[in-house]
Amino acid sequence: MTVEALATDETLLILKIAFLVLLYGFIILVVRTATKDIGGAPQESIVLGAADAAAMRAELEVRPGRFLVVASRELREGSTIEVSAPTVVGREAGSGITLDGDEFASARHARIEPRTDGVWIHDLGSTNGTFVNGTRLQKAQALRPRDIVRIGETELQLQ
Amino acid sequence: MSARNRELFGLVVAGLIASVALASVTIARNAEVAASAAVWGALFLGLYVVAHVVVRRTVPYADAALLPLTAVLTAFGLASIYRLDPDDGGRQAVWVAVGVAVLAATLVWLRHDYRLLEGYRYLFGVAAVALLLLPSVPGLGERVNGVRLWVDVGPLQFQPGELAKIFLIVFLAGYLREKREVLAQGRLKDFGPLFVIWGAAMIVIVQTSDLGSALLNFGIFLAMLYVATGRALYVAAGIALFVGGAAVLYNALHHVQDRVTIWLHPWTDERVYCALNGELEFRQDCASYQLVKSLYSIANGGFGGTGLGQGTFASTDGTQLIPYLRTDFIFSAIAQELGLVGAAALLLVFMLFVVRGMRVALQAQDGFSKLAAAGLTFGFALQTFIIVGGVLRVVPLTGITLPFVSYGGTSIVANFLLLAGLLLISNRANALRT
Repeated sequence: MTVEALATDETLLILKIAFLVLLYGFIILVVRTATKDIGGAPQESIVLGAADAAAMRAELEVRPGRFLVVASRELREGSTIEVSAPTVVGREAGSGITLDGDEFASARHARIEPRTDGVWIHDLGSTNGTFVNGTRLQKAQALRPRDIVRIGETELQLQ
Repeated sequence: MSARNRELFGLVVAGLIASVALASVTIARNAEVAASAAVWGALFLGLYVVAHVVVRRTVPYADAALLPLTAVLTAFGLASIYRLDPDDGGRQAVWVAVGVAVLAATLVWLRHDYRLLEGYRYLFGVAAVALLLLPSVPGLGERVNGVRLWVDVGPLQFQPGELAKIFLIVFLAGYLREKREVLAQGRLKDFGPLFVIWGAAMIVIVQTSDLGSALLNFGIFLAMLYVATGRALYVAAGIALFVGGAAVLYNALHHVQDRVTIWLHPWTDERVYCALNGELEFRQDCASYQLVKSLYSIANGGFGGTGLGQGTFASTDGTQLIPYLRTDFIFSAIAQELGLVGAAALLLVFMLFVVRGMRVALQAQDGFSKLAAAGLTFGFALQTFIIVGGVLRVVPLTGITLPFVSYGGTSIVANFLLLAGLLLISNRANALRT
């Protein structure tokens, strides 16, 4: 074996190791960022014991939002609605909050979503818009207590 | 770091991976450091930076990992194909560029609302069936290895099955979203479409002898039916139907029998009848020659592999040992040169792509998007399983491409369409959340 051939073999070995190191580095990079932005609650796993997972879940507990019906044709005024999971508000049957007879509400009008950082409202491309304290919603927004949400002719106040 | 900057960083790492792989391959081939490897690496990175800029402008909220994962998969493919045949490597590079262009065009076209496709669902359904049956049209179809997969249009050849898969998923997403409540009730008359699609899968097997494609499309259908209705019973019934149908076809079609025999008994101690030359041969020298040589290739790689560009793919007189190495058997080429460590890394990259895709399906808000994302991801995963499983002798081998890695224009372009779909859906889902 000549000196040049030996040098090539060593170069190729170094390149193979470099390739594998880069490749596994890339995989670790993707896995790390993937776990960073997972929104769900921590699950018990090999690296996370049951007690730790429960403690972390408690910290990330989603608090349900309670809404007072201020004005509505469909819902009883003065009653309260508790939203503990993402809920669609609209005329469509099977919506979480059904506003069957509200002519100004769209079939799928808006979505109310309780999260760890508060209760959020999204407009689902409704015709007449979703209003928070009289301002038309442009993008998803976190609600503060006592904010009034108007969907069609229905007004809900976060407690 | 923002999602888009994370994506760019991932692409830079992918560019480095491609450069190292190409450098290794050229050094092994020419025994000298070739500057062309650096140029190719830079071109590769440049191509994906263009894709990144288009993504940044059209789908700014899209998942940040999908594009870098795709880049790494195509880097694997380009390096391995270039190593086997530099001319094919150049052609594959052109196809990756075409794929990126198709990705960009699709993103620009559908950036506002891809859900307009839902309105054309039946058109997509008809187109998918037409594409699947196209290779069996006399004068158009070409039979390669006893399987009708290819269509000749003038000087161009393409594999319509790859595109049919995407069209079928769009159709099913629209159709199942519309009918999911009715289907979930499970009345017998509502099973109609299930039987129709099962029948279509069986016809495709008979017409084209293409087991892999039928299995892939039927699997996608069952997975999406399960996502739409949440009823495991349908999946069980569908698998039973497919197994029943396959058993009947097994007795009727020699092609199917041969595939199973090759899978279960690739080696024989005695000479058996060989259909290729009509004489008595050991099966490892005849019908299962390709699979057996591929297994030797993987075994030769061992744990660490022979090194990129240093594997043995030709005998001493220069004849290629494994037919279809660039397409169906690219995995065994990679497994030889990078060993278990590298092959496992490749499968991890595929797995991460699937994990990201399923996340997109979970995050999507509306039924059509959820079903489409789940279908696209499941199709990608099942296709990878069918071909890698076939090469590793886990399941019977059927000719199908390894997504983003195998040599072939149609496959590359179709998979870039799949990527475009996932990026569009994740962009919409994330835009609604933030």
